[in-house]
Parts: sequence; C-alpha cells; structure tokens
Amino acid sequence: MILRAPFGVPGSDAVARARRVPRLHLDEHSLAFFVVLLALALVGEVLVLRPILSTDDVPVSGIDVVFGLVGGSFAVSGLIAWRRRPDSRTGALMTATGFAFFISPLLRQVDGAVAFMVWNLLVDTWIFFFVPVLLTLLTAGRLRSHRDRWLVAAYAFPLVLLQVVWLLFAELEEGDNLLLAFPDEDVAHVLDRTQRGLLALLLAVTISVIAYRWWRASAPRRRALLPSLAGAATLAMFMALLTNDLLSGERSDPLLWATACSLLSVPVALMAGQLRSRLARGALADLFRNIGSVRPEELRPALARALGDPDLRIGYLQSDGGYVDADSRPVAAGGERAMARVERDGRPIAALGYDASLDDDPELVEAVTAAAAIAIDNASLLAEREAQLAEIKASRERIVAAGDAERRRLERNLHDGAQQRLVGIALQLRLLQNRVSDDPSAAALVTTASDELANSLSELRELARGIHPAVLEHGLPAALEALATRAPVPTHVDCVLPGRLGEPVELAAYFVSCEALANVAKYAQATTAAIRVRQEGRRLLVEVADNGIGGADAALGSGLRGLADRVEALDGTLRVTSPAGAGTTVRAELPCA
Amino acid sequence: MRIVIADDNLLVRRGIAALLEEAGLQVTAQAGEVDGLLEAVEAESPDVAIVDIRMPPTHTDEGLRAAQVIRERHPEIGIVVLSQHVETGVAARVLAEHPAGLGYLLKDRVTDVSEFVAMLRNVAAGGTALDPQVISRLLASDRGDGPLGALTTREREVLQLVAEGHSNPAIAARLDITRRSTEKYVSSIFTKLGLPDTGNENRRVLAVLKLLRN
Repeated sequence: MILRAPFGVPGSDAVARARRVPRLHLDEHSLAFFVVLLALALVGEVLVLRPILSTDDVPVSGIDVVFGLVGGSFAVSGLIAWRRRPDSRTGALMTATGFAFFISPLLRQVDGAVAFMVWNLLVDTWIFFFVPVLLTLLTAGRLRSHRDRWLVAAYAFPLVLLQVVWLLFAELEEGDNLLLAFPDEDVAHVLDRTQRGLLALLLAVTISVIAYRWWRASAPRRRALLPSLAGAATLAMFMALLTNDLLSGERSDPLLWATACSLLSVPVALMAGQLRSRLARGALADLFRNIGSVRPEELRPALARALGDPDLRIGYLQSDGGYVDADSRPVAAGGERAMARVERDGRPIAALGYDASLDDDPELVEAVTAAAAIAIDNASLLAEREAQLAEIKASRERIVAAGDAERRRLERNLHDGAQQRLVGIALQLRLLQNRVSDDPSAAALVTTASDELANSLSELRELARGIHPAVLEHGLPAALEALATRAPVPTHVDCVLPGRLGEPVELAAYFVSCEALANVAKYAQATTAAIRVRQEGRRLLVEVADNGIGGADAALGSGLRGLADRVEALDGTLRVTSPAGAGTTVRAELPCA
Repeated sequence: MRIVIADDNLLVRRGIAALLEEAGLQVTAQAGEVDGLLEAVEAESPDVAIVDIRMPPTHTDEGLRAAQVIRERHPEIGIVVLSQHVETGVAARVLAEHPAGLGYLLKDRVTDVSEFVAMLRNVAAGGTALDPQVISRLLASDRGDGPLGALTTREREVLQLVAEGHSNPAIAARLDITRRSTEKYVSSIFTKLGLPDTGNENRRVLAVLKLLRN
C-alpha cells in the first residue's frame, strides 16, 4: 500500500481490506527451494571473490572485496526474509538484487567481445530490483501505485535505452564494442553525461519519495521503513558519485567506499527489522504475564505496547456487526489501517485496528489478538461479577429496608390498634369504677383489672419500642436523647446535625447506639458513656465510647454482627476498638447523601 | 374549665371526655384530626386543649405541630400533649423554649382523674406538667456534675413533683411533710438551680426547663 499524497494514487488503496489473522500464505516454497537458492548465492559469492582470492600478482583491492560482498549479503538476507515471510515479495526482490549484483563481477571474468557487450548492457540491472525493494517495504514487495511503477520504469531510459545508443557511438578502451556503428567520441561523451545527469535526477526523485514517506509515516511504519532509509542513503551516495563524475570527470575513491559501505547497510537494516519482530516477543511475554489482571482501561495501552503501534484501537462488536471503540469511533480496515477480529469460541467479540505495516509480522498480530481475546473475556467476566456484587448489595439493602418497613408497620398497627383500644378500655374501667364506688368488692375487682391493664399497656409499649423506635419520627437527636436517658450508665449525647437524614441512615445510627449502649451496660463496667454524632461531608460518623474496662472482643457477640450487616448494607463501616483498661469505642461511618 | 379534646381514636376521645365531664369539667368540642382541632379551638376558645401527638394522616407528630400552631395563635390557651409513650428527647421538643402553659403526659395518666384534672388546672394557669416517667429518667441519667448534683435526695423528690406540675400543698400531702418544710425545700431547690426570686417569672416552670436542658 502506498502513502496517499503526493505520490500515492487516491482510490486504488482506499478499498477496505479486512485482514484475518492468520492470513493465507501464497507462494509457499519448500525448504529445498531455499536451500538451492542459498547454495547458488554462496557459489556466486565464491566465484565473485575468486579472482581477488586467487590472484597473487595483483594486490587485493579493498573496495573490490566490499563490492564483492554486496551481492552475497543481499541474497542471504533476502532469502531469510523470503523464508520468514513467504507472502511478501520483499525477500524475493532482495534475493534478486543480490543475484543481480553478481552479474557484473562474474561477466568481467569471462573473456570475449560478446561477454563484454552483455556486461555493458546488464551492468546496472540490480537497480531494477533494488529501487522496488525500497519503494515497496510497506506493500509486501508489490508496486501498487502507477507513479512508483513509472519511477522504476524511468530508470530504463538512461540505463537501457541511452546505454544502447551510447554503445553505438562509444569507442571503449576495455574491449571490443560489438555495437559500435558510428564511432564519435563527442556524441558518446554527451550521451554519457546525459545518462549520468538523468540518473542523478531519478535518484534524487526516488530519495525524495522515500524521505517524504518516512516523514509522513506512523511509528510502526517507520520501523518497517528502516531498510528503505538505509537504501535512500545509498542512493544519495550514488547520486553524489555521479554528480562528482560529472563535475570532475573522474571517480572519487572515498565516495566509492562510502557507497559500497552504505549498500551493505540495507541488508543489515532488513535483518534488524527481522530481529526486532523477534524482540517484540519479549513485550508479548510481558503482555501475557499480566493479561489476567489487566484492567479494561489498561488493555489498549498494553496491547499497543506489545504490538508497537501507539494508535492501536480496540473495537467492540455492535449489534449491526460493525466494531466501535471506546470513543465511539468505528474500527474497520482501510487505508493504512488493518483489522484483526478477536474471537472467543469461534464468535467474534471485538476487533483490533492496527497499522497495516504490522501485517509483515502476522504471528505478532495473532498473538496480540489472542491476548486481547483473553483480556476482553476476562473483563466481561469481571464486569459480570461486579454487576452481581452490586445486585447482591442492592438486594441486601432491599432486605434491610423491607425489614424496617415491616417493623414500622407492626409498631404502627400496635399503636393505632391494641394500644389505643387498651387505653380506651382503661378509660371505660375508670368510668365503671366511679359507678361501682358504693360496692367495695366490685370496686376492688375493677381496680385489679385497671392495674393489670396498666401493666399490659406498659409491656406493650416496651414491645412496640423494641420493634421500631417511633421516637425517630422526632429526629435522631431526640431518639438518641431518649436512648441515653434510658441507659443504666449515665450517657452524654452530643448530636449536632444540619437536618434530617435518610430513614435507613437514622435507623442504622440509632441501632448502633442502642446496641453499643446495651453492651456498655452488660460488659464495660463503665461509669459514663458518650454518644457523638457528626455529619462530615457525605458521611455520618456515629461514635459510642465508654470509660470502662475495655478488652472487648471485636466480634462482641451477635448483636454487633447484625449491626455490621446493617451498616455494610448501607456501604458503611463499623469498627470496635477496645484496648484493655482504656474503654471501648464503637465507631460507625455511614454514607449519607 | 373549658376543654377541647383531639384524638383520632373514638373510644379514647369519648372516654377522656366522659371522665372529665364526670369530674365537673366542660368538654366543649372533640376532634379526630388536626383541622377539626384548630376549628374547635377558634370556635370555643377553651382553657386547655388536650392533643394526641400521633394523628392522621402520617401518625407521627401531627398533634405536636397542631400544638405549635395553637401556641402561636393563642398563647393563652394551655395545651396538654398526650402520647402512648413519653420520651425525654420529645419532651424537650414539646416544651421547647417556653414551657409555660404546656404539658406532656403519657395517655394512661388520664385514668387517674383527680391527678389529671389537677394538672389540667395547673397548665391552664400557666404552669408546666411533665410526665413523671420523663422526669425520673432525666434525674436518673444526671451524671451529678451539674447543678442537679448539689440536690439532696429529698430535694430531688420535691423537684420531681414540682416538674410534674404539683402545687406545694399537693407535694406536702404526697411526701407527708409540712407545707412549711415543702416551701423550704422548693426555695432551696430554686437557689441551687440558680433561679433567684425575681417576682413575675414562674420559677417552677424555669426549674423544669433547667431539668430538661441539663
């Protein structure tokens, strides 16, 4: 895929292509195929270096050794890349470049005019493989835009057409020129300069294209483009060499050295890219180590880190079959973005939108996708568990509230029913007593009945209070005051509140104080106690402290345990501190909106 | 003495009315809810209104609110608030800042007619009547570090009866002591509670207030 502007072709690559991982691997070759090619490359390399190694009378030229190694290094690195990524043509193109580099030194070793002519025609063939390698690192070795194709084709004009024309005119010192038809040194000279000038221009254009792409590329694409950057540097060296040829009329040795060395940097950069995707496995190991505990909001950064794509997006499956990320942006393949579906038990649950250049490393994408599947599955289980917890909490609240409502209803029924009736009967008995005052035995009976009734009323009153503290209707301070004056241990109440609180909170505060005071009376051996209630922000603090012997068990019996349930149902906390000899403090914190 | 009664329970309302009428008081109106009570008060201008604290519609503190309305409109009308259970915290709310002419009693107290009538008269005269249960709880929960701590046992007994709304002769009769010594105890209590004789003020009411605020 070629970058959009200004060299890209809009439209042609805007077609969305959803990629599935793993992808179909086309052009798969057997191991034997690569072994044969590797053997050929080694044979070629040995043949290229043979004259240098075997000739004793001629001193070994360093530059020849370096140039001699270029073909082999391109071919070997190309074969490694090809083997690792059979679906990408980059490896094949690199291998071809390497073999093309063999052509010139091998033909030079063959005597004869035909070989010399062929050498003259094929000496620069490598450039037709080398330039495409640099232009197609992001498109799996395929020239996808017309401009790229034209750019490569344009090299044929100086290197093929003008070369042939030049051979028609040029008398060569190195050997017989079979094509020489119209020997003319001036014309040949002009043609040679034109060739070099045009080539320098084409190199400049190619370098600009590569530099522009690099500048526009995202982080993962820049990593993928690293060999093309090394290649552009090489092309710049060639351009400098040609410019120097044109200006000074002779070859510059230092420039030739620099060119040869920078040529070697291209296979090195390609291998570095392969090594990097090996190193990326380290980040994967980190990802998998923590995948179980990764929070939903941490998942995207973790996957992005492992994949080396900061723009990675996670799209969640929508009812229409599309994918939308956390910011409601659709996640789909297209342009420079590729998409991998995240599946669980064969069902798609999400999709990763990543930089298409990462398709060069499908195993990495596949592993990250698998990690995403685990994490998203985990997160949905977690969300489910949290929802269940919230439901349990809500149901506990409802149970407490329902219990309270039922107690309130019972108390009211007692009050409005039995208690009122009994008071009514007491009044009737009193009236009766006035009527029977002249019959002492009847009066005595009525008095006994009245006393019994008074006792019953008093017992009923205590029962009703135990069921539900009706005094809470007059506010928490009044209710706590009532509690304190009933307590056997003198109790001070300090309850300052800005207003009424919710009934569940007031009830909880009341019951906490009630149970704590009951414990003070039973166990603390205290001479005073104090209830302190304060509202601090959105929390109500209830504290019941005594000056008794302390040392109470934090689990102070079932009474406080039941209270803890009540307090926790409101999302509050209940704490008992009771150091030996220093009194006991029961402290409840209740959220109150 | 003219009385208005408000209680949502018919049996209780009629029972109280019958008892009071037998005792020679004039029950001029009975009401089952707040609006009826307020209308009766406007129409009858009673000496005392007897009000049940829990009445429709919510059965929480309607009676108390009605009492506050009557107090604002007609401060001269005595109000006795009746309840099925009395609480110290609520007593402070009933008597509020100006306890004169107010009473807060357990509903059962009505059956002791002579005592109840005495309290009604006391309240009608601008006195205060607090339920014995409330007073004993207030006295019992005193930690002894306030002015109440300085009172002798006998003085506490006298203060209890003062707060209940009994007159000095009634206190003397109950405790089986002379009127003279009753007066001495009462004046000693006032001194210890820091209530000097300033003439107009009803020191008995102030003593109740002191007790409630302790």
